[in-house]
Amino acid sequence: MTEWLTDPLAFGFFVRALAALTLVSVLCAVVGSWVVLRGLSYVGDAMSHAVLPGIVAAFLAGGNVLLGAALAAVLSALGMNVLQARSGLKQDSATYIVFVGMFALGIVLLSRTPTFTSDLSHFLIGNPLGVTSTDLWVTAGAVLGVGGLLLGLQKELLLASFDPTEARAIGLPVRRLEQLLLVLIGLVVVLVTALVGTTLSVSLLITGAAAARLYARSLGQMMLFAALFGVLGGAVGLYASYYLGTAAGATVVLVNTVMFVLLLLARGRLARS
Amino acid sequence: MTHLSCEPHCYQPEALHARDLSVRYEHHTALHGASASFRLGEFSAVIGPNGAGKSTLLKAMLGLVPLSGGEVDYGGSADLQPHAAYVPQGQTLDWAFPVTVWDVAMMGRTGRLGWWHRPGPADRARAEQALRQTELWELRGRHIAELSGGQRQRALLARMLVRDAAVLLLDEPLTGVDTTTSQSVLALLRAQADAGRAVVMVTHDLEQAAHWCDQLVLVNRQVVASGTPEQVYTPANIEATFSVSHLGSAHGKA
Repeated sequence: MTEWLTDPLAFGFFVRALAALTLVSVLCAVVGSWVVLRGLSYVGDAMSHAVLPGIVAAFLAGGNVLLGAALAAVLSALGMNVLQARSGLKQDSATYIVFVGMFALGIVLLSRTPTFTSDLSHFLIGNPLGVTSTDLWVTAGAVLGVGGLLLGLQKELLLASFDPTEARAIGLPVRRLEQLLLVLIGLVVVLVTALVGTTLSVSLLITGAAAARLYARSLGQMMLFAALFGVLGGAVGLYASYYLGTAAGATVVLVNTVMFVLLLLARGRLARS
Repeated sequence: MTHLSCEPHCYQPEALHARDLSVRYEHHTALHGASASFRLGEFSAVIGPNGAGKSTLLKAMLGLVPLSGGEVDYGGSADLQPHAAYVPQGQTLDWAFPVTVWDVAMMGRTGRLGWWHRPGPADRARAEQALRQTELWELRGRHIAELSGGQRQRALLARMLVRDAAVLLLDEPLTGVDTTTSQSVLALLRAQADAGRAVVMVTHDLEQAAHWCDQLVLVNRQVVASGTPEQVYTPANIEATFSVSHLGSAHGKA
């Protein structure tokens, strides 16, 4: 009776994909909650494009693609923050100037690539079923590192997000905290990119956290709900793609989107009753 | 905190002195050579029309806006400055933020705790005391979106109390709250001043300020007058502060 549930688990790639989505969901819940609370979703989106030159350059140089992407993400995050401070532009403009520039650089580099191999296209489109056990270890390390860091800085981030004026009044380095958050968003986007590709990565980062915000009364609750929604969406999406024969990454993203809409409708119903 | 037993207006230690403060925003001057003194044990009100630079004065004294002239002196005692607590205008905050009343009070502990430290029993006891004082203890588990305007203001006051600051700076704590709340806010601030703190609030409410405060500071780009309510609350001063139409201030930031 439960064979439909256990059958796919006989495949190593399926188990690894499930494990990777679960780990990434937890990571996205912790980082994504801050992204949603601070209105930085567009940074996640922009970041998913900005990593392209890192990916292509690393590929051309024969280096580690993930490392190249991470490097591009960190540079873009800091570059954007500096540009904004120097120009006095609003953050969205500063963000897109840097990130679209980075994306263009990626395409220019790409046009010099003699052969467009499947390795590279997998990274652009993403494929959870291609996750290796090394990827899993890297992701697990990121969950512990990033999660621990954000937990340790929670009260400072909370004050800086809820009331930046008071945060500055007590001498918190509000701008440094923001830079840190941007860099972390970049790193998470890189990890997620390997699973669902650059264009869909922002979905995993924010959809769960946004759904959680509808119901959470506190930050801890928001992160917990976001992780639950993310893990559930990942599992349901993966099974659905297995049985429907659809692209795994995109199916997971679709399931997340549907789940968000259902949770939103359910809240409206709760509020009326 | 030393409890000062002397009468108001006798010599009291100066907690905060603003000397010739000027603040320029991109296209206009928000403050021009404003000077004021605030003493421990005194409750002061900063009063003026919209766009007069009242909030800017508070922020300048907190070091939150760059000064184009003048200086801020925390009574020669360097350790007073980090102990200035600030209460922002309630409507500048996002009340849908996922935090409870308890979380807001606990935020007051952030600076004192320092990086990587979590609140201990003493911090929780302080938060409880402040929430009882502001009559929010029963509501501590509530999400802040479910609070009334008055309760929100009281939550911010609880956070301020938790700071245990020597200098309290409040931006319009009486705006958007009902009469009952505004009376309890004023009584609480009065008690803080009587306990030896320097309390400074920005307000529009001249009547209440004259009734509750030791010092009025009338501001319109500069300090028009300052002193006890008896000295300052004169038709000529009010006229000079409020009635002069400042064309440039219409689009200015308060």
